[in-house]
Amino acid sequence: MLDVKKVKQRIEELRKLPGIASKPLSEVLEENGFTRRDFLKWAGTMAVALGLPASFAPVIAEAAEVSDRLPVIWLHLAECTGCSESLLRTASPTIDTLIFNYINLEYHDTIMAAAGWQAEENYEEAVKKYKGRYILCVEGAAPTKDNGDFLTIGPEAETGLHKLKRAAKDAAAIIAVGACSSFGGIQAAYPNPTGAVGIYKVLDKMVVNVPGCPPSDRNIVGTIMYVILYGQLPAVDNFNRPKFAYGMRIHDLCERRGHFDAGEFVEEFGSQEAMNGFCLYKMGCKGPYTFNNCSRERFNQHTSWPVQAGHGCIGCSEPDFWDSMAPYEEPLANHKFESVSADATADKVGITILTIAGVAIAAHAAISAIKNPKE
Amino acid sequence: MIVNKKIITKIEGEATLKLYKKNEIIEFAQIEFWQYRGIEEFLKNRHYLDACVINPRVCGICGHSHLIATAKAIEDALNIEITEKAKILREITLGLEIIQNHIKWFYLTLYPTIKKIDFFKAFEFSKEIAKIIAIIAGQFPHNSYAIPGGVTCDLTNLDILKIKNSLKKMFDKYQNVIDIKGDSKDLENLFNGISKELGKSINKFLVLGDNLYFKSNGDVEFVKEEQSISFNKNVLYKDEFVEVGPLARNLNNKLIKVIYNSYKDSIYTRIFARIYEVNLIFKYLLKIIDEININEKSYIKPKNCSGTGIGIVEAPRGSLIHKVEIENEKIKNYEIIVPTQFNLSNGTKNKPSAAQASLMNENEKFADFIFKCFDICAICVSH
Repeated sequence: MLDVKKVKQRIEELRKLPGIASKPLSEVLEENGFTRRDFLKWAGTMAVALGLPASFAPVIAEAAEVSDRLPVIWLHLAECTGCSESLLRTASPTIDTLIFNYINLEYHDTIMAAAGWQAEENYEEAVKKYKGRYILCVEGAAPTKDNGDFLTIGPEAETGLHKLKRAAKDAAAIIAVGACSSFGGIQAAYPNPTGAVGIYKVLDKMVVNVPGCPPSDRNIVGTIMYVILYGQLPAVDNFNRPKFAYGMRIHDLCERRGHFDAGEFVEEFGSQEAMNGFCLYKMGCKGPYTFNNCSRERFNQHTSWPVQAGHGCIGCSEPDFWDSMAPYEEPLANHKFESVSADATADKVGITILTIAGVAIAAHAAISAIKNPKE
Repeated sequence: MIVNKKIITKIEGEATLKLYKKNEIIEFAQIEFWQYRGIEEFLKNRHYLDACVINPRVCGICGHSHLIATAKAIEDALNIEITEKAKILREITLGLEIIQNHIKWFYLTLYPTIKKIDFFKAFEFSKEIAKIIAIIAGQFPHNSYAIPGGVTCDLTNLDILKIKNSLKKMFDKYQNVIDIKGDSKDLENLFNGISKELGKSINKFLVLGDNLYFKSNGDVEFVKEEQSISFNKNVLYKDEFVEVGPLARNLNNKLIKVIYNSYKDSIYTRIFARIYEVNLIFKYLLKIIDEININEKSYIKPKNCSGTGIGIVEAPRGSLIHKVEIENEKIKNYEIIVPTQFNLSNGTKNKPSAAQASLMNENEKFADFIFKCFDICAICVSH
């Protein structure tokens, strides 16, 4: 995997392909006030985020420069546009988002210049022209009930399900962006009236899941960069999430972890313990069961993340978290409040979140709570 | 008569606009939304706190308004009073969401329907503003820092200083978009060659929320939902269609009133009210941030566990209504009415909704422009 030579060879091959962007990346960056130094710094942090040695930084910079050779088609299904918002609008213009813009000139419902009929034509053309070469990013779940009639798109009133299958057929790689396209998301919560599912369930191809509600821009761009670098999908865990981003639990690098270990917990919002920034486990934080890098990467250019603002993690990068992690303000181990979803997901819980590590953590929490001299 | 079906994209989702026209002049229009998710269904039988996590996901653009409306509805149901500090923090994050929404709408959604523009201008604001929200709420979009009883965060004086500093910086910068006197180069440029009388509507306004500096002029009791021709529902006030949003809630502003008096509720007035509102909100936020007393409590624990309540906020696009029925901490029923439903209802030719009326008797080539000046959110409608 760490073969620089192989990666360089691939970049050279990509360089020979015609670029889609109207001007080179260096110009785009310069126009937005970024220096070459900023760009190399970005490449360095991207290398770290992808779990590669720092010596990879120059190669990543080169890969970013040829990233317009692999067009990206971005499809919206049943969703709230929050993922695009996270990536393209709210946090921009970071270098991440500029690069994403640079790659993704072909088709994106929300940001592309064309609209209406014109946009639909662009889409059809892109799918044909870049057959077998484009990266398909999907935001939103696929409603399957009543043949997918709960979501129709475009002038022909094509169902989202059909459009997705058509786009996936000739895609070089498929990336599910966000909790909805990965595992169904909020649409698929009990009672799931539209029969929404993660896209991997309706496609017969490998799908890399980048879950989160929303996922951070670093994880989205990182996954695409990986595909460009290696010409293959990144190493994934058992839920097809890239290991570089979802390899560790929120809990492992949490800033409040020290308080957890010391048995110092918040037991009521607004209390002295909350003001002291103690551990939120007893307020229902699902950090111990959730694999993601929020505690390391944070959001909005490293400004903050939910736990820093005093609200526990809701487990949004885990499958079926809307049902299996509820109620969100109670620890799972408590079973104080059985929501309807508890019955609905009894079978889901077993395979998803209550891993051996999770159970061990819950036990640890109980022990440290007993040991806490304040109690 | 020719019927033209037009697909409207880039509105955080998709809508179908059916135009009935004669010689390029629109005689009547129908608006259809063909998506459905069923958020209200997911809420039933869950703990009421879950609503604070689920409801922001109604929309990735104005999710924060949904969060505050949820918290308010539950507080109304359980009879909770929150502290002044929690109130101010909520006002700041909600105000900031409106600000960044309007800037992005202007440059990213509306402007390109007529003229080319460098839409990166909008990002300079949205990036910084999202950061201010993140200081208070943890992240943007989709956070759950507001809970029934208050907020979860405990800010320090340093945080307040940072927020104030950024607010001032953004306010100064915004003067280049439209200044406090109402002069805007970009707006004048947009209307260069286009009549400012374009797209007059029904001239009936409704404000239900009383957050920020807005004043309610109606009673939610008279709001009714009825079935429509597609997945969305019509919303009427006293059996009439009304317009909600920035124009409706800023008509008591002197400058906006002057423009309203000359152009009535044309799209020029509507767009002006929207982008000028940003200045007014900035001014209001800079005032209230000095009133924060960080020694106050962030949260007060609810005592009741059953009741019914209504939460209303003035969201970026107008009055947003959440209704909740709680029984023994469980949600029995939940209902959401979003502002786009008011503005984009499907009426008849004789009794059109705000968006339909503004399209009627105008040239077809402006259809996209007029339609988008309502800042449509298809995703909210199809919740």
